[in-house]
Amino acid sequence: MKSIISTQNRIRSLKQNLKNSGSLGIPMGPRLFLLLLILVLTIVLGAVAVMLFTGNFTAGFKKSEAVFQNELLHASQAIEEQYGQFSQQAVELSKTLSRNIEEELNMLDISITGLQDRPDALEHLIASQYERTLLSLQLSKSSGVFLILDATVNPALANAQNSRAGLYMKNMEPNIISSHTPTIIVFRGFPSIGRRNHLDLHAQWQMEFDISNAPYYHAPMTAAHLRPDLPLSRLYYWYPAFTLQGTNEEVMLCSVPLIDSKGNVFGVCGLEISEMLFKLSHLPNRSFYSRLFCVLSPVKGSTMTFNRSMFAGGYSAKAVSRGKNTLVITKSDSPFYSYNYNSKRLFLGMHAPANLYPGDSVFTEQNWVAAVMVPQEDILGSIAVLNLILFSSVMLLALIGIATAFVLSRRFLKPIAEGFDIIKSADLEAAPKTKVPEIDDLIKYLKTRNKKLYQKAINGELSISLLDEFLENIKTLSPSERFVFDLYAKGHTSKEAASILYLSINTIKTHTKHIYMKLNVKSREELLLYVSMLKEIGKDI
Amino acid sequence: MRNNLFASVVCVITLSLSLCACGGILTADSKNPVVLTLWHNYGGQLKDTMDEMIDEFNDTVGQKEGIIISVTSISGSATLHDKLVMAANNDPGAPALPDITTAYPKTALILARKGLLLDLNEQFTGDDLSAYIPEFLEEGRIMEDGLYVFPTAKSTETLFVNKTIFDRFASETGARIEDLQTFEGIFETATLYYDWTDKQTPDIPMDGKMFYMADSLFNFSLIGCKQMDSVLIKGDAVDFASPRHQRVWECYFKPAVCGHAAIFDGYATDLAKTGDIVCSTGSTAGVSFFSPIVTYADNTREPAELAILPYPVFRDEKKVAIQRGGGMCVIRSTKEKEHAAGVFLKWFTSPLNNLRFVSSTGYLPVTKEAFGDTMSREIDSVPDENIKKLLKASRTMQQEYEFCVAPLFDGVDELQQLYESRLMETAAKSRQTYLDLLKTNSPDVAYQRTVEGVYQELAQSFTQ
Repeated sequence: MKSIISTQNRIRSLKQNLKNSGSLGIPMGPRLFLLLLILVLTIVLGAVAVMLFTGNFTAGFKKSEAVFQNELLHASQAIEEQYGQFSQQAVELSKTLSRNIEEELNMLDISITGLQDRPDALEHLIASQYERTLLSLQLSKSSGVFLILDATVNPALANAQNSRAGLYMKNMEPNIISSHTPTIIVFRGFPSIGRRNHLDLHAQWQMEFDISNAPYYHAPMTAAHLRPDLPLSRLYYWYPAFTLQGTNEEVMLCSVPLIDSKGNVFGVCGLEISEMLFKLSHLPNRSFYSRLFCVLSPVKGSTMTFNRSMFAGGYSAKAVSRGKNTLVITKSDSPFYSYNYNSKRLFLGMHAPANLYPGDSVFTEQNWVAAVMVPQEDILGSIAVLNLILFSSVMLLALIGIATAFVLSRRFLKPIAEGFDIIKSADLEAAPKTKVPEIDDLIKYLKTRNKKLYQKAINGELSISLLDEFLENIKTLSPSERFVFDLYAKGHTSKEAASILYLSINTIKTHTKHIYMKLNVKSREELLLYVSMLKEIGKDI
Repeated sequence: MRNNLFASVVCVITLSLSLCACGGILTADSKNPVVLTLWHNYGGQLKDTMDEMIDEFNDTVGQKEGIIISVTSISGSATLHDKLVMAANNDPGAPALPDITTAYPKTALILARKGLLLDLNEQFTGDDLSAYIPEFLEEGRIMEDGLYVFPTAKSTETLFVNKTIFDRFASETGARIEDLQTFEGIFETATLYYDWTDKQTPDIPMDGKMFYMADSLFNFSLIGCKQMDSVLIKGDAVDFASPRHQRVWECYFKPAVCGHAAIFDGYATDLAKTGDIVCSTGSTAGVSFFSPIVTYADNTREPAELAILPYPVFRDEKKVAIQRGGGMCVIRSTKEKEHAAGVFLKWFTSPLNNLRFVSSTGYLPVTKEAFGDTMSREIDSVPDENIKKLLKASRTMQQEYEFCVAPLFDGVDELQQLYESRLMETAAKSRQTYLDLLKTNSPDVAYQRTVEGVYQELAQSFTQ
């Protein structure tokens, strides 16, 4: 209860002080604090202005831009180099196989156009190309190699028109450079080829290729039929990423037509890049953004066929990408492009054209881009966090400045306030040095003045009329002022008076000012001198 | 007061410095992660699951702890063994050893003897290890109580049957699938199957088809002897003097020579894909290699239902099956890498992740929690029908069978390879002799003349 009253008194006193501050002026403490505060805030605002000017608040974008540009440059160069090598090796494979198969058929007295009429020869024909096909797989360091002939082992079957004989071998660890025993398995082909050469069959092995939905088979053959004038290096075709039948693995195939010396097109061959090989070859540095990924994607205008892209990234990024068929590329306000799915911005990143074909290739109009991307919230989130930290730091700096200003102003005023207390005390003679020269001078002056005044009083120089006038003036004091006056008369200091009356020191100071004014005295010493003299002459105060 | 002032100044300076440092991009993962290379032998469907789990580790726990697992080799277990041994011996052209590798105890022993493996007791406390099935841990304590092979996924062997072909055969011959519970039953059925298939083409004599193949002849003999309460290996050699071993051998040899069982150095699943065999014993981990389609030589194709039965037992003998499947070994390196490997192994074998791995691969879980109630609860929710059948067969075996591990000593790997190749060579050679003799003899006489002295010759070939 007591504390509530005390708080209420304090609030009342503060209100009073605020009211009075206009007429009485701002006390020295707050005045100094305000001065320092202005100084601190000016410095902080200056720092913010410098940061804005030097682009600290957009530094995140600039750093990210540099990271993306670097990763994109590296990825697009590496992709073009790798795909270029594979294209060239696939073309070489096609040349060799075309020649070898033609020779083999000549020996068997079978014409290429009559191949389908001799299905019994297929197993031998394909087995005879095993060594060269395997060599191509090993030299290219690709993840797979294939050969498809335009013939089936059993033309009598219902779906024979979509079944083609061939050989497809996969290297399960193409990334191992010094492996002496690469794990090569047969994905498509006669089982006898695998058994004869101690190669296991793939878990999803089938004897023949299903070409019902196989542009990697049809597209280069059609191109070769339509443009017999073009060399193989202008007829190879990169089939976008697709899931190999029966597996969960996505691959891209580089497919080249097989053409004999007379221009007969009789199949295709080529190399495979599995998703794992692509990932191991082109995984971007994810130390800045853990979900950063690289894609090689077919593009038409500003639309990426995202579900037919090769993807090199981590689990989290893949989880975000899953199920997105197409992405529309738009330029965003930031240095990045945004990649939108269903009109919603999904990724931010950068891309560059990836040239998989020579300029005069049949497939040159099929455009590809290499891109590095990250879910948009990763970039924005990281920059927002960065700016939040900057903002928090500025705010913390301001708070520390304010606290320092408060502490410094109090520390600076403390000796001055102590000096004033000494001056207000009854015994100036015993006053210690304040170490503030100006106040020590003032105390010295007051001591001298008081001595003179006291001497005057002793010498009877102060007239009775002055004392009467003092008595009369006491009556003009307000009740509050009277309380304070009475306490002074009893020898209490202003601090003690504040404590006894539950008032703030500022309120006491205000009352004291009024008391001095009304009693026409200039100091507490003078007031006490009057009181003492009145007591001596027996006047009742 | 002076202290306050000092503290304020320090704060301001620190803040200013941190402001300068804030010029860089915030990264979620550690700036200097520990990169651990990993070799494993999980191919096919297992590889997809493994890839996904490693990616997930890298993006979650790995990111938090600053660990990146990088798979640098996926090979078959035999190839992996060769590579590890080459690397351990510093053979010319050998790749550098990885930080973590899957390995069987026989491989791990070679590496541990060279001081290359970390004793995983250093990374796992007693409390940690108490969550794992003790027998599985015991298999990894290959040297002086040190835990060198950490169980990550175990397997056993079961009988895989192409039920589609079997049912067709059974409907015409009266063969019973229950007969496949014993090896004798399997070989009797194999004879029946050979005759039945031979009769399909009356114009071509002796062209009956094979019925059975054991993926590992060594395991076949090892477990066969165990079932008869005997041992295949005495000291560090095959006990050819044991009549029980001879019984096991004859059980393989006769069907092989007569063309009822396959003589093939590849996987039985390859023969199953082409309908060349009907049933096989092999690792549970091989379940994903069974194709749902059988493709015949003329490219005709037929959907095939797979039945999975507990491992066969020699008639009137004990129910014993092999406990197989390696684990993961950690190569000794820096303290940071060893700790990081421990973190990965704990994550990989935590009950939830362990069950996730096994429910898509055909391996068996390694923690008590995952093998116990969790597995019983989860079996019905496993999407893959074959794995569901497999887990049910494994659970039956867990309740009814005694499990034994392959012996471990220097040279066991070479002995195993030699044993299998000699058995196959002998069988192949005898098969040719048998076929030649058939031209002038009845099958029984031809076989009797073929088998004469073969076992003794085989035994002698191991003493030379």
